[in-house]
Amino acid sequence: MILNTGRTIPQGNSVEFKPSPEYGAETSRAFLAPLDLMDMGIEAGDRVRIRCGSRSAVLTASASDDVLPGSLFVPYGPHANHVVPAATHGTGMPDFKGIAVEVEPTSDPVRSVWDLMEDLGGKRYDR
Amino acid sequence: MIVRDVICPFCACLCDDLDVHVEEGRVTGVDNACDLGSHKFMTDHRMEGPVRRTASGWQDIPLEEAIRETAELLQAAERPLLYGWSGTCGEAQSAGVHLAERVGGIIDATTSVCHGPSILAIQEVGHPGCTLGQVKNRADVVVYWGCNPQHAHPRHLSRYTTYTDGFFVKNAFKERRLILADIRGTDSTNVADEVVRLQPGGDYAVLGALRAIVRGKGDVVPPEVAGVSREQLFRIADLCKKARYGAFFFGMGLTQTAGKYKNIRNAIELVDELNRHTKWTLTPMRGHFNVYGFNEVCTWMTGYPYAVDFSRGMAFYNPGETTAVDILARKECDMCLVVASDPAAHFPAEAVEHLASIPVVQLDPFPNLTTAFARIQIPVAVSGIDAEGTAYRMDGVPLRLRKVLDRGYPDDVTILSEIARRIGEGGGA
Repeated sequence: MILNTGRTIPQGNSVEFKPSPEYGAETSRAFLAPLDLMDMGIEAGDRVRIRCGSRSAVLTASASDDVLPGSLFVPYGPHANHVVPAATHGTGMPDFKGIAVEVEPTSDPVRSVWDLMEDLGGKRYDR
Repeated sequence: MIVRDVICPFCACLCDDLDVHVEEGRVTGVDNACDLGSHKFMTDHRMEGPVRRTASGWQDIPLEEAIRETAELLQAAERPLLYGWSGTCGEAQSAGVHLAERVGGIIDATTSVCHGPSILAIQEVGHPGCTLGQVKNRADVVVYWGCNPQHAHPRHLSRYTTYTDGFFVKNAFKERRLILADIRGTDSTNVADEVVRLQPGGDYAVLGALRAIVRGKGDVVPPEVAGVSREQLFRIADLCKKARYGAFFFGMGLTQTAGKYKNIRNAIELVDELNRHTKWTLTPMRGHFNVYGFNEVCTWMTGYPYAVDFSRGMAFYNPGETTAVDILARKECDMCLVVASDPAAHFPAEAVEHLASIPVVQLDPFPNLTTAFARIQIPVAVSGIDAEGTAYRMDGVPLRLRKVLDRGYPDDVTILSEIARRIGEGGGA
């Protein structure tokens, strides 16, 4: 499937305080066409794993008639960026849109933004 | 107390008509702002003072010590990256460029992951730009391509296009035609007169087809181009040619998809074609409130708008090589100073990983995801709320941000100047 990322109002509202549950919840949503959810045998609220190369992330599926079948939209943030490749093709800009990914149902939990940062070698700020 | 006519420091619309209610050093309410702007003024999760990451956890440290250690880290680094800059004022950006030159580092802004490709295209074929006032008062056809202003710039339509009347557009809602091009339905496509639903990655082909039609070579256009019918393409081209004044806005849908700057070059050349028939202009929908400002400041100081490498003792610019994501993914920098941005949230994981293996210092009012990689974070005042300064609107108009309250935090300029002073005392880099 084709992954596109972009801004949304809830993402923007919580962008100044990313440790908040609202930011983590919004940036871990995957908007999929209802037909694609049906093909995968899942419903809105179930979880999917998106994979690109060796990297993957777990997201919560949402049904959206606005998304073309065969593609998914994920609000811009650390969950999507966990799978976005870093190659910029000589432009400085990675492909944040139009990324070929595999999508499959999963029962694994959605990881918190601090979990994702610790996966990459960071340390959560828990004060 | 109500502070009137405040400029909003969220997006590059820089709405200048906010009324901010302040009581006992806190913002208690905001009138006229959009949801995004209101949240920025009302967010109250600031870091209290400078912190250092240690093996056992986070430790409070004095400001003096945080500044000294930052100066030492910058001075000791062979290839420091100074990144961010879009969420602060022009005066801090200027101090940042001076600091980068002094330490022989690389300075890059969030431009490289938003409208960097737009700048590359503009460097190739020019920028047929205008101020937003021109759009408001004259435009009768408005295109938004690859963007969702209702979510990213929520007041753009009500201040400059569909929902505001202009001097020559007396009844905007009826007289202005709105064309939205996107690969998905959004709250913006919902209010458009004409929606172009193209296939992902089809922008270059659709823009090319429109150019051909406007140039009178419509016979080469096939029945469908990237999901868009030939009939609709002709209809749009006709609408654009008949405009008295057309305004073309575009966003990440063009800059972040395959083709990158070539998509924007095609859009600029479409506008060029249209100018053979009537008047058209083009404006990138810049995101952060002062990301345009960094490009202005960096250009007048170095000759280049972003991604400037001073390691040769002169300004060297080569996006794709000297841009932050590339520098990090190649694991090239050995220190990173992050100012007013959050690369850990917004960069691909492969680039973020390198932050874990080098010293990182962050200047930011809030704990964010880059905090997880910071050896030191110094909380600063928020530009436009408790610090004043200059910011550039998305059309390149500089506006003066106001200080509406005092929370006692130092501003970015103060901290950066103090770091530079300490490096100067130490003999420079």
